[in-house]
Amino acid sequence: MVSVINTVDTSHEDMIHDAQMDYYGTRLATCSSDRTVKIFDVRNGGQILVADLRGHEGPVWQVAWAHPMFGNILASCSYDRKVIIWKEENGAWDKMYEYTGHESSVNSVCWGPYEFGLIMACGSSDGAISLLTFTGDQQWDVKKISNAHTIGCNAVSWAPAVVPGSLIDQPSGQKPNYVKRFVSGGCDNLVKLWKEEDGQWKEDQKLEAHSDWVRDVGWAPSIGLPTSTIASCSQDGRVFIWTCDDPAGNTWTAKLLHKFNDVVWHVSWSITGNILAVSGGDNKVTLWKESMDGQWACISDVSKGQGAVSTITDTQQNEQ
Amino acid sequence: MRLKEIQRTAHQAWSPAGHHPIHLALGTSAQQLDASFNTTAAIEIFEMDFADSSLEMQLKGSLPTANRLHSIVWVNFGMGTDGTGGRIVGGSENGTMTVYSPEAIMTSGAEAIVGQSDKHTGPVRALDFNPFQSNLLASGANDSEIYIWDLNNFSSPMTPGAKTQPAEDVSVVSWNRQVQHILASASPSGKAVVWDLRKNEPIIKISDHSNRMHCSGMLWHPDVATQLVLASEDDRLPVIQMWDLRFATSPLKVFENHTRGILSISWSQADSELLLSSAKDNRILCWNPNTGEVIYELPTTNQWCFDVQWCPRNPALLSTASFDGRITVYSVMGGSLKAQQQSTADKISSSFDAMDPFGTGQVLPPLQVPQPAVQDTIVPPLKKPPKWVRRPVGASFAFGGKLITFENSKLPPVQSPQPVPRQVFVSQVTTETEFLQRSRELQAALQSGSFNNYCQAKIQNAKSDAEQDIWKFLLVNFEDEARIKFLKLLGFSKDELERKISKCLGKNFQPNGHGVDAKDLAEKMQRLSTERSDEAATDARTSGSVSPADFFSQTPNESSNFQIPVSCDADGLISQALLVGNFEGAVDLCLNDGRYAEAILLSISGGEELLKKTQQKYLSKQKNSISMLISSVVTQNWRDIVQSCELDNWKEALAALLTYAHPEEFACLCDTLGNRLEHEGTEKRCLQACLCYICSGNIEKLVECWALHRECSSPLGLEDLVEKVMMLRKSIERLRNSEVAVQSPILAEKLTCYAGILAAEGSLTTAMSYLPDNSDQSGIMMLRERLFHAQGEAVQQQPPNSFNRGGLPTAKPNPAAQTPAPKAQIMPQSQYQPSAPSQVAPQQQTPLPSVFTPQVPSPNQGHGLPPFSHVMPPSATRPAMRPSYPQHPSTTPGFTAHQPFQPPMSTGGTFPPPGPSMPAASLSGPQLPSPSMSPGSLPPMPSPGVPSFMPSTSLSSGFMPPNSQPGAPVPMYPGGASSQAPPHPVTSGPYTPFTPLGSGYPQGGPGAPAVKPFPAPAVAPPPTGPQEGWNDPPTVRGGPRKKKFPDNYAPPAPITAPVMGFPVEASQPHDHTQVPPGAPQEPSVQLLQQLPAERVEQKEIPAEHMVLKTTFDSLVQRCQLAAGDPQTKRKLDDAGKRLGHLYDKLREQSLTHNILNGLHEISRCVASQNYQRGLEVHTQVVSSSNFSEISAFMPILKVLMTIANKLGV
Repeated sequence: MVSVINTVDTSHEDMIHDAQMDYYGTRLATCSSDRTVKIFDVRNGGQILVADLRGHEGPVWQVAWAHPMFGNILASCSYDRKVIIWKEENGAWDKMYEYTGHESSVNSVCWGPYEFGLIMACGSSDGAISLLTFTGDQQWDVKKISNAHTIGCNAVSWAPAVVPGSLIDQPSGQKPNYVKRFVSGGCDNLVKLWKEEDGQWKEDQKLEAHSDWVRDVGWAPSIGLPTSTIASCSQDGRVFIWTCDDPAGNTWTAKLLHKFNDVVWHVSWSITGNILAVSGGDNKVTLWKESMDGQWACISDVSKGQGAVSTITDTQQNEQ
Repeated sequence: MRLKEIQRTAHQAWSPAGHHPIHLALGTSAQQLDASFNTTAAIEIFEMDFADSSLEMQLKGSLPTANRLHSIVWVNFGMGTDGTGGRIVGGSENGTMTVYSPEAIMTSGAEAIVGQSDKHTGPVRALDFNPFQSNLLASGANDSEIYIWDLNNFSSPMTPGAKTQPAEDVSVVSWNRQVQHILASASPSGKAVVWDLRKNEPIIKISDHSNRMHCSGMLWHPDVATQLVLASEDDRLPVIQMWDLRFATSPLKVFENHTRGILSISWSQADSELLLSSAKDNRILCWNPNTGEVIYELPTTNQWCFDVQWCPRNPALLSTASFDGRITVYSVMGGSLKAQQQSTADKISSSFDAMDPFGTGQVLPPLQVPQPAVQDTIVPPLKKPPKWVRRPVGASFAFGGKLITFENSKLPPVQSPQPVPRQVFVSQVTTETEFLQRSRELQAALQSGSFNNYCQAKIQNAKSDAEQDIWKFLLVNFEDEARIKFLKLLGFSKDELERKISKCLGKNFQPNGHGVDAKDLAEKMQRLSTERSDEAATDARTSGSVSPADFFSQTPNESSNFQIPVSCDADGLISQALLVGNFEGAVDLCLNDGRYAEAILLSISGGEELLKKTQQKYLSKQKNSISMLISSVVTQNWRDIVQSCELDNWKEALAALLTYAHPEEFACLCDTLGNRLEHEGTEKRCLQACLCYICSGNIEKLVECWALHRECSSPLGLEDLVEKVMMLRKSIERLRNSEVAVQSPILAEKLTCYAGILAAEGSLTTAMSYLPDNSDQSGIMMLRERLFHAQGEAVQQQPPNSFNRGGLPTAKPNPAAQTPAPKAQIMPQSQYQPSAPSQVAPQQQTPLPSVFTPQVPSPNQGHGLPPFSHVMPPSATRPAMRPSYPQHPSTTPGFTAHQPFQPPMSTGGTFPPPGPSMPAASLSGPQLPSPSMSPGSLPPMPSPGVPSFMPSTSLSSGFMPPNSQPGAPVPMYPGGASSQAPPHPVTSGPYTPFTPLGSGYPQGGPGAPAVKPFPAPAVAPPPTGPQEGWNDPPTVRGGPRKKKFPDNYAPPAPITAPVMGFPVEASQPHDHTQVPPGAPQEPSVQLLQQLPAERVEQKEIPAEHMVLKTTFDSLVQRCQLAAGDPQTKRKLDDAGKRLGHLYDKLREQSLTHNILNGLHEISRCVASQNYQRGLEVHTQVVSSSNFSEISAFMPILKVLMTIANKLGV
């Protein structure tokens, strides 16, 4: 059941491209083709404009909140080839860092799990993926994977920092050796997995199933099972669920969630990793859930943002 | 950015949009020759593999053709569903139209030509396929020839109408992108004609008045049906004109930027604001036709490009064909050329001569400007972000099951003047409706305290018998006389049994109105066993096996006269032995003679030892089905029963435990039985094990057992479990009048899981209430912190345990840097540790879950409260989040009755508040001292952590001096002197024997609330007074129930005590003749624990002996501070309690002088830390005293001194 509990009028002057809630679900960051990033306090159903961040010179594609343990930090990426990291200090938002290392539109930013520290991956249309790591004293360490996706990288998403097989984190004091991994999707129709080895980022897997641009990828939060799950969606209208059961992470199997009639722009996992929200070019949002027998079923549509609920129609099914 | 390149002089056609992977078909161009003057021709198909970062295109197929081409198109006619195939149509220089199958070209090459026509009389320069009907193709040639071809019937084309006059070449044909029957054609002269195929005639003609228009390209607007553009090849008018047919007299717009004639144009179908043009000025420009602005210029070679084509599938791609014999694929998204292609460039040039059948690898100077070096330049993307990168819609999840969605209505091609509302929607997603419903019901029951109703409802709606059984057992825990009701549930009904007994004995017994008596039970047991074995009950009786009932009913009748035989037979010898007082001999004789009754009777007179021995001998000789039971009843050894009974007899074993087991052992024994059942592993047994655990109140084991055999990972499965756990926990809390902490990792995990699901469904407050409070697991703490903030607290107000935000600017954000965060979070907890007295196990650092400290709405919330300021920054106006969650809207008035520290108090005002060193984090929220709760009571203490330790009458014996001494301070327990107070110094005298032993089953159960290990005090220990209450299992409940319980209730004593009115210890009066040996008179667990407070006339420990208490208590405390391992701590906890027995005896002044002397000597040794000597004295005392007098406390003194010695405190 989906019911609208708050409608935030952003007053953006052009298309909204992303809207992300912070870690607690109390603040909403939006970004737009009007080149601005806005932050709203939406607690208790309200909408108070907290900040109107200007600094980008092109449409802002995505925003991403860092884990609050690092402070109130928001990253934004834009067609202007820049990534800007904003930070709130004493109630005022300001630029913390501006990264200009990409040669084309930066399409996606994603903070790594807090266990990895303050680290961010950025995917750009120049085909490269940058990894920015905060090293203290306003210093950021930059690693760049050139030509990660020919023609461009559209999306990046981090793997959870959970050791497979354990629901509960390791006992404190004993730091597990997390392997940093993330997934990316690009205009080469590929989904790629990357892994850090000895401080170097290496391509770990190349997942082929899409026949057109991969628009978004989402690595599901760990739900305590040893399975890794990734969702990918594409210009070709397909959404795939990739799963990997083996601990080495080498064998990935793809399952077609659905073939939509229009480009699928975005996939988002629920915090507990059991529901996938899929948003497509038809302005429809569908929610998907895996049943006990491993089949993915659409549990509702969120059309027009009004919470109207319907299911995938038969016609759509037949058109697959 | 350049992506792919190959040396060809050719016309190009992209595979249609549905085609995957992307291919590019190249047909050798007519009228262009290279230096070899080669005239061969071919159609080649290349695959664009962009995963391959080299410039190379992969040749997939090649077909030699008879003629060179002027035009080529790839239509999706006949394309398979897999996105392959279609048709390639080529228009040749001699007028031949040929239809190829690209699939055939890419595979064998055989039968690649699927159609051919030479209708056209001259070179076919113009080709276009209908975007709506893929079988329709338009072609244009010289002499005004235009044909419409149906690929289904290729032989007979039709014409759109009469040929235009004067006849001229047709350089372009183009289908309208919106209206499928509209076709336009254009000639080099600049005239364009629009045809309506339904009318089969031209409907409008467009021509520029300048007459300098030399039309090289014409395209319809992708979105606007009435607009088209014309490109001029004339160097004098190097423009693109946009025409609108609604105003066809002059161009709508003219795009001027090229300096020489335009050779080719291409309009992006993915974004109508992107129009490409290539011109003889060597430039390739991209226009925004809406504004006329050039938004991009391709970094091209210095060469004319005669053909540009957007890729239909990948909107960022375009290909160019230039006169220098190069086909290049570009991306408009920019990027770096880098050295990426350096190597491949070399590869291409070196391999071409051999590969290229046409010899075009050779580069000619006239048309070939020297090849530019591979640049390492950065190529910017389009100035205007193309439509296909502008994400119009999104949905992302946020914490608490929130879904954030936005959409952007598809704008009309002409931007609407009205501002569009740019809205973002926040929605709540709930997927587990049934789960939420049940969770609400549970929550309602927990808050209202209507546990009975809840359990009743569960029983009624139970889907299976097993489920029903469990709920019945859970329900019983909330009722009085739980043990009897458990027995009933197990199938043992007292009344029914009595009826049966009377029938059996032929008598007319009246129900005695008391609890189950042992005789009844024994009878019942016997019946059961005889029913199982085939031996008849009578058999057992006649064979000399004597049931207790028979045995004791045969008490000798008095006779007036009797002889004392002194003969040498057995009788005589017995008499003689008796006459000289040799009981032992007499008993032996009796036993030898089979006179068991006499033996027992005599041994009763002969003293405890003898009686025990006799019992043993008797029992060892008895080998029948009930002897084990009798043996256990007599010796109080239930361990054997639970350890060795047939599992099928679990009910009987449990019944026996319920009837007889000492409260302190009950839980342990139940658990043992449960363990055995569980161990068998079948589902049935596990259910039975669960019932055992419910009886014993062992939440942990219940959870483990349940989790082992029931699915509880799904929300509903988890709900099933949590419902039971919460009810069991509530019942235990009700019994103890205190909160029960979550202790086992598995329960913590399940509850965390449960809270996680609740949070995901948006029930944040409820989720918070289930989250185990006492965990230092970072996962749980993070969830708590997240829940706290998510509930709308002021973000600026950081809770005390929020993240280590300060660390960012300087700290390296490696994982290690974050470890302080969780640590910092638990710090406050450890400070509170002493305040969570007996319920918190040593390993638990945090107070109890908030569900058990429900908040009372308090008008003075937030001020006037002790803000826990010793652990949080003063700036935080919110108190510590862990203990209170003050913002919880879910206040639970119904709960308060169960809050030990919150009951309305009547006499509390006279009670001095505990010292400031007593925090109360887990026991009460900061706002607990709400005026509404305790009118006229103590004002909130300003000192931290003393919010509401208000005693109340109903709880008085639990943690304050008895009410008979209201207002009496607790002089003997100076605050802070010892955190390890003796458990019953004041209140527990008469029922000392019930003091639980440290059984290792911390939470105990209805039958035996077991002992909680004490936490090692981390800070100042709290005063001892209140703490006692927490250790006291029999928390007083007061009320009418009290009268049910005999004031002088005696513990189930071994059968050695009594039947015949034999003298018993003064401290164990026993005046209920109906009580079966060893069985509690009222086996109701609650009653056992609900010892009345009023009657307790506490004596003080005589002043001269107070030193013993101070010394030993402080020893315990010192040990606890020093003790490291849990086992030792447990022992020390136990010691604290057992010492209470000593203090009781001191109060009663029942100890002999000898013992007292010894104790004082030990005390002196302890004071001087000479434990060795203390132990020696101890040994002396033990060896020289009546064991029964000292057994309650001497062993623990030894243990204590041994520990102290070891720890060196």
